[in-house]
Amino acid sequence: MEGMAVGRPPAIEVDGLCMDYGPFRAVDGVSFQVAAGEIYGLLGPNGAGKTTTVEILEGHRRRTAGRVRVLGFDPCHGGRRFRERVGIVLQSGGNDAELSVREMVSLYASFYANPLSVTDVITQVGLAGKQRARTRTLSGGQLRRLDLALALVGKPDLIFLDEPTTGFDPNARRDAWQMISELRRSGTTILLTSHYLDEVQQLADRVGVMSHGHLVEESTPAALGGRDLAGTVITFDLPPSFTAGDLPAGPWDQAMPGGQVSMHTDEPTEVLLALTQWAAGHELELPGLTVVRPTLEEVYLRIIGRETVGGARVG
Amino acid sequence: MVPVSAELAHRSRPVPRLVLGQARYQLLLLTRSPLGFLLTLVLPLLLLVSLNVITPGGASTAPAGLPYAQFLTPAVSAFCLLNAAYVTTITSVVHAREEGVLKRLRGTPLPAWTYLAGRFTAALVTSAISIAIIVGVAVVFFKVHLVWHAFGYFVLAGLLGIVSFFLVAAAVSVLVSKTETALPVAFGTMLPLAFISDVFFSSRKGPHWLHDLASVFPVAPVARAMEAAFNPATTAWPMPVTGLISVLCWTAAGAAVIVLAFRWDPGPFRFRPRHHPH
Ligand SMILES: Nc1ncnc2c1ncn2[C@@H]1O[C@H](COP(=O)(O)OP(=O)(O)OP(=O)(O)O)[C@@H](O)[C@H]1O
Ligand SMILES: [Mg+2]
Repeated sequence: MEGMAVGRPPAIEVDGLCMDYGPFRAVDGVSFQVAAGEIYGLLGPNGAGKTTTVEILEGHRRRTAGRVRVLGFDPCHGGRRFRERVGIVLQSGGNDAELSVREMVSLYASFYANPLSVTDVITQVGLAGKQRARTRTLSGGQLRRLDLALALVGKPDLIFLDEPTTGFDPNARRDAWQMISELRRSGTTILLTSHYLDEVQQLADRVGVMSHGHLVEESTPAALGGRDLAGTVITFDLPPSFTAGDLPAGPWDQAMPGGQVSMHTDEPTEVLLALTQWAAGHELELPGLTVVRPTLEEVYLRIIGRETVGGARVG
Repeated sequence: MVPVSAELAHRSRPVPRLVLGQARYQLLLLTRSPLGFLLTLVLPLLLLVSLNVITPGGASTAPAGLPYAQFLTPAVSAFCLLNAAYVTTITSVVHAREEGVLKRLRGTPLPAWTYLAGRFTAALVTSAISIAIIVGVAVVFFKVHLVWHAFGYFVLAGLLGIVSFFLVAAAVSVLVSKTETALPVAFGTMLPLAFISDVFFSSRKGPHWLHDLASVFPVAPVARAMEAAFNPATTAWPMPVTGLISVLCWTAAGAAVIVLAFRWDPGPFRFRPRHHPH
């Protein structure tokens, strides 16, 4: 991506973006850039401020403070020239219940001077068999495909996808990933939000993790949270009549009393040695003992957990 | 994929085509909505027939010795305009906004006003068709005759009415927060006005103050002018200047509210939130 970014201005530039809803600050000083042709994934728990950020970039909401450039436009004042070049999948989009899939896509195609073929788009999102179905009869996943079709039909240079695959079955999700990858090949820039780490890992060139209105981490999916350096996770079921405090080489984390204990360590051999010696000394078997490298999911949970715990913010 | 070629590829669509497309879209929606059809055609027609049948001695309520049907036909036509331009606009705009349809449209290059222009054109077409049917039925079955020398006044007053009712309705839709309240609000404001504005009965025999009160709102001047245009005695533009001013004021007020506050996002009406960066 770095190579592509040279000579082309970034598709999206966000600097010190803030958004208040009344006294509540939903987005607090977020800055990032998305290069032209890049796929950027925004991750974060519910209420982190992803939709708010994306909708500001789409021109749907007016920011409180900060600098925003999208395709060289201020989305607030971009007007038609701006909207002709972006495609938007809202987190929850509205449809005219009594129109058919084909009628909806034709309608949206008619807003652009140079749209894709209606039939092609419908086929591309896998709704060819539902062309004549009224949108009120579509399933949740089919509606999401329609959302995608309506965003694609104008041949946008930049697409916003706010949780594009929520409600998809695993198969449909693979299809959507395939489609998004094809879009990337055609040079389309994509900003997507997701709760699914595997999705971001599959698709995104770079990931930003949001929590409580802050961008708390930004990297490639592979390096998220310094995963390569993040050591090893040791987990086992705490034997009855012991507490986490009795264990050697602590502190050990315990999510529920009497449940699993785990530790994140850079010195697994030493910890394991102490642990197994302790177990042997008590003539114990350690049920469910596993030693693994953390998954992206665990790294992510640690990142947002850290933010929640230490997240006392100055308003 | 160089930005320059991208610029060239994205040439805008001509605006007249967009407006026509919107009108077609709105008409398509209307043909699929039984409520719209019921309000603009069936209800006025039912009213025309039933009032004519129930009130055979209705001549007494019609002005200046006209046959009742001669009064009722343009009156019901005004009612049809109210339904097509006012009630339908409020219900469908609120519905589209709360469903998120408007928000999605707002994210496309469709200019905002073309949406309203499309809706207006659809209201115009449906009311023209409905009124043609109503007048046709009246002529054939109730011996109503068209007053050709005043027919232009009928059309002109009707056009004035539809513009005014439409803009006021679009403004009212801004204030309505929920889909469920749209129809009660629309009927709750329209029906009482219709009753005092000579849309069902002539109010000549009612109290003066009621007659004058009605003239403050846009319905009465429009309805009375349309009715006068079916009276053979009418030879000049039948809307008093005060009535015209009232209609124009309401129209301007509606337009102002739309420009300042028309909403595309779902949710309750708020005064524009003002954000002060800390
Ligand atoms: N219109 C609004 N008025 C007031 N508060 C809002 C509004 N929209 C969002 N918020 C608040 O702002 C915060 C961020 O919301 P946002 O929708 O951006 O989160 P999100 O990251 O997209 O969450 P999710 O993953 O659930 O979609 C939330 O606390 C939410 O309650
Ligand atoms: Mg969201």
